[in-house]
Amino acid sequence: MRPDDRRYMDSHEWAKPQGELVVIGITDFAVQELCSGNEGDLVYCDLPELGRRVEAGQTFGEIESVKAVADLNSPVSGEVVEINKDIEDHLEILSEDPWNKGWLIKIRPDSPSLDHLKDAASYEQHVAAEGH
Amino acid sequence: MTALERWRLVESYGSTPVVAMGLDEVLLQAAEARPTLRLYTWEPEALSLGYFQRFDDVPAARDVPHVVRRITGGGAIHHHAGELTFSITARDDHPLYRGEVRESYARVHALLIEALRAAGLGDAFAPSLASARGGLRSDRGGTGMCFHASTPLDVVWGERKGIGSAQRRTGGRVLHHGSIKLSPSALEPDVATALDARVTLTPRAFGALLRCVFERALDATFDAAPATAHELELAAAAGARYAEQAFVHRR
Repeated sequence: MRPDDRRYMDSHEWAKPQGELVVIGITDFAVQELCSGNEGDLVYCDLPELGRRVEAGQTFGEIESVKAVADLNSPVSGEVVEINKDIEDHLEILSEDPWNKGWLIKIRPDSPSLDHLKDAASYEQHVAAEGH
Repeated sequence: MTALERWRLVESYGSTPVVAMGLDEVLLQAAEARPTLRLYTWEPEALSLGYFQRFDDVPAARDVPHVVRRITGGGAIHHHAGELTFSITARDDHPLYRGEVRESYARVHALLIEALRAAGLGDAFAPSLASARGGLRSDRGGTGMCFHASTPLDVVWGERKGIGSAQRRTGGRVLHHGSIKLSPSALEPDVATALDARVTLTPRAFGALLRCVFERALDATFDAAPATAHELELAAAAGARYAEQAFVHRR
C-alpha cells in the first residue's frame, strides 16, 4: 500500500500537505514505468524556476529516461516556492526514495484542498487497472 | 468474430523539416481518437537533436544546414535520402504502449524485427539478445548521434545498431519516433544499414512492408488518410518552433 498521508493524480504525481505548502513528487509506479528498475535509465529532470505559477493539471516540468520524455503535472494551482536541487544531479534518488527524499517541488497553493485528487486506496485501484 | 482495430496511415514522404516535426505534434494531439502510423522522409535532409541534448554535444549539427530539435528524447539523427522515419501516435493505454516504457519498446521492436527479416535482414535480432552482448560495434563516444549509443532495447544486425527510437509521453498519449537506415550516411559511420547487409530497399518499399506487418501482427486495418490541408496548416505553424534558433540552441 502506498502512503496515505498524501493524494495522487492519475498521471502518477503525488501531493502532500506541509504546513501552508504542498510538496509534489512522482510515485514509485511512475519511476518504474520510466526505468523498469534500472535507476541509471533516468537521465534528466527539468524543474521549474522559483516563483513560477503553475496550474492544476498542467505541466510543471519534464523527466527523461533513456527512452522516453514524460511530462510532470501539477496536482494543484499555485506558486513554486522551493525546488529539490539534488534531483538534477542525483536522479537515482527518485528510484531509491520517491516518497521523501525524491520530492520535486513545493508549491504555495491557491487553495489548501486536495479533495480533487485520489486517496491512496483509489490510486491503488487506478494503478491496478493500468495492468499491473 | 472480433472487429479489427482501425488505425490511420499517414504517408508523407518528402516532408520539410518543419512539417516533419509539426505533423507529428498534430497527430499526437489527435491520438485520443485512434492510433496512427506515419511513414515519412525528409526533404531537404536534416539533423534532429534529442529534446534534452546540448547542441555543442553534437558536432555534426554544425555541418548540416537544417537542424531541428525533436520533442522526443535520445540522441541526434541524420534524416537523409536513405532513411525512413516513422512515428506512432496512440493513447498510452493502447496495448502497444500500456505499462512500462521498456515493455512498449519490446513490443514495437518485435514488429520492426519482423519487417526487417521479411525484407531479407535475417540476422536482425531481439533486444534481449542485444542486452546479453553488451556494447556494439557501432558505439562511439563524442558524436551525440543516436545510432552511436546503444541500449539493451535496441534492434541490432551485424553487431551494429540498426534502429533509433524514442518516445514522448504527454497527456495520456504517446509519440514514438523511429529511424531506420536503408543506406549509409557520412554523419553516422559504422551504423547498421540495409545496404550493408546487401538488401536494397527504398524508404517507400520498407514503409509498405511495415504497414503489412503492423496490420497482421496487430490484427488491425490501416486506413490510408493523408494529412488534410488543415492539418498541414497546423503542422507548419506548430513545426516552426522546432527549427527556431532559440529552441535548437536552448541547451
